[in-house]
Amino acid sequence: MAVSTADHAVVADPGVALAAARARRGAGRVLVTLARSVAIFVPVFLVATFLTFALRSLSGLSPAHIQLGESATPDAVARIEHQWGLDRPFLAQYWTWFTNILHGQLGTSWTNGANIAELISNGLAVSLSVVVLALIIGVLFGFGLGTLAAVRRTTWIDRAITGFLTVFSVMPPFVVGIVLVTVFAVGLGWLPAAGYVPASVGTWPWFTHILLPALALSLDPMADVARQLRSGLIAAYQENYVTGAIVRGLSPRRIFLRHVLRNGVGPALSVLGWRFPTLIGGSVVTEWIFGLQGFGRFANDSAQAGDVPAVQGVLVVSIVLVVTFNLIVNIVLGRVTPASQRGV
Amino acid sequence: MVRRVLALPTGRLAVGVLSVIALLAILGPTLAPHNPLGTSALTLTGPSWKHWLGTDYLGRDVFSRLLAGSRTSVLGSVEVALIALAVGVVPGILSVYLGRGFEWFTLRIADTLLALPFLIYAVAVTALLGNGIPQAMFTVGVLVSPLFYRVTRAATLAVARSQYVEAALISGASIGWIARRHVWGKVLPPVAVALAQTIGVGFVVVSSLSFLGIGVQPPAPTWGGLLASDLGYLSYQPWAPIVPALLIMATVWGSNLLADAIRDVSGEAGRALLNSRRARARRLNPAEPIPAGGAAR
Repeated sequence: MAVSTADHAVVADPGVALAAARARRGAGRVLVTLARSVAIFVPVFLVATFLTFALRSLSGLSPAHIQLGESATPDAVARIEHQWGLDRPFLAQYWTWFTNILHGQLGTSWTNGANIAELISNGLAVSLSVVVLALIIGVLFGFGLGTLAAVRRTTWIDRAITGFLTVFSVMPPFVVGIVLVTVFAVGLGWLPAAGYVPASVGTWPWFTHILLPALALSLDPMADVARQLRSGLIAAYQENYVTGAIVRGLSPRRIFLRHVLRNGVGPALSVLGWRFPTLIGGSVVTEWIFGLQGFGRFANDSAQAGDVPAVQGVLVVSIVLVVTFNLIVNIVLGRVTPASQRGV
Repeated sequence: MVRRVLALPTGRLAVGVLSVIALLAILGPTLAPHNPLGTSALTLTGPSWKHWLGTDYLGRDVFSRLLAGSRTSVLGSVEVALIALAVGVVPGILSVYLGRGFEWFTLRIADTLLALPFLIYAVAVTALLGNGIPQAMFTVGVLVSPLFYRVTRAATLAVARSQYVEAALISGASIGWIARRHVWGKVLPPVAVALAQTIGVGFVVVSSLSFLGIGVQPPAPTWGGLLASDLGYLSYQPWAPIVPALLIMATVWGSNLLADAIRDVSGEAGRALLNSRRARARRLNPAEPIPAGGAAR
């Protein structure tokens, strides 16, 4: 190690060339990972949107029944269905709908004719602030607890953390939500029980309103990340190269950061990608509990009203969110543990 | 395998918790002391001898509603698990044998189902296809099925590509015999683990759906529905959600424990674990009188 740094210092040019080559290779690797992930997620996106679109035919709902009620004449029904283009062949409808989606147009609502993309983007700000905060809390505490448990493995700290994580993982978000409301909003009165304040009004009110829902959502990813990280780190600690590093006299911190963490973090990161859909799904329930007008609430309301295009819009947005997030996770994973690229 | 699971303390605990829940589901509706739908003038009272868990905002007995709701909640999660099993296992096994086209196609479907935020899908599909328990169970079951697909596929792949199966084929064993002797034993434990996990997952989803009032008609009691109605009256009865929440958590915990116990005892690793436990027990036995004597003194 010492020799190679000396080399760099003395002969500057090869060092620069080496760094450039390394950067090039790194960039190439990111591109390869990106291409590979896109190749996986394009079929996922296609199949998922197809399933979403097929929902209308499966449900047999029609805008005519919402607008005209149950006692509509077949004539009027046919006229309205023609207006919405529902009498065209299924695949033709799918194609129009799909190209519109690629242009960011999600259509108009059956119930009030409003632009769905606008309605969803209003709710998305609320949902995303909650979900992102939940992710941050989950990842921070998950990494902290998992690392602590792995470093102090088989001590009482490890056992206490594992026990807490087990309790966290069996608590569904709505149970956690109710507990949090009972304790912090009703019992102690520290935080508001429901509602949302946009960040433009003030950062602190905004934060207090989204803290409880985010906490309710964060326990699940926290438990998962911590457990995966703990077992990943413990497995990495038992590798021969770690023993070798200890024998060579490297400092514990260096061993942890360079040898153990990079090799043990993979499962925790990929479980995060897996968990993201659950997080988005969980927002339906937490938004209901905390009275947030987010897009999960919007999905629930429009599904119960039978507003098919609105539901499809929400589903498409959630698919896009999940796919994007997984792309990011895959790229990070490819950077941190290159070995994971072999078997995506 | 059942005996091996019961040999572990966690296995016994899991089976115990789950059988209590199952008993509740079977006997609950008949045990209910009051009519779960009968309203009275006594609204939002605390626990008493007449109403063990108090009454809700319409004066209905909470304990009876809890008992009556247990069947819907538990049966729902079992249904989800069985549908997922049926939808997932068969394509999982076939994907190994039916060639690359089928394999690619089913893998993409499984990827997609895994990527769907399934609570939103369950809400959407159930509400759009008519608000009923069967629709809800079917949707959730299909959405969870990739777990079974992956697990069976992995196990079948391992068996199908192994040398001892090839050796058995060469020495003239029939496909049926191989399936019984080699495939069954290798595929069954992971499927059992997945089944136990799915019951837990299905339970959370069913409770979430009934919490949102999806899949059940309002007066019918469910554990999730009880929590939802408690939520509106938290300032009067902050303790009300405790019992349904604990029951839900116990069920999920029991199925997770069972999944862990089955995973621990199945396969070669499981046999090694049991053997080492037995060996340790035999080693410890002669030493036992000493701490016992210490405690007596």
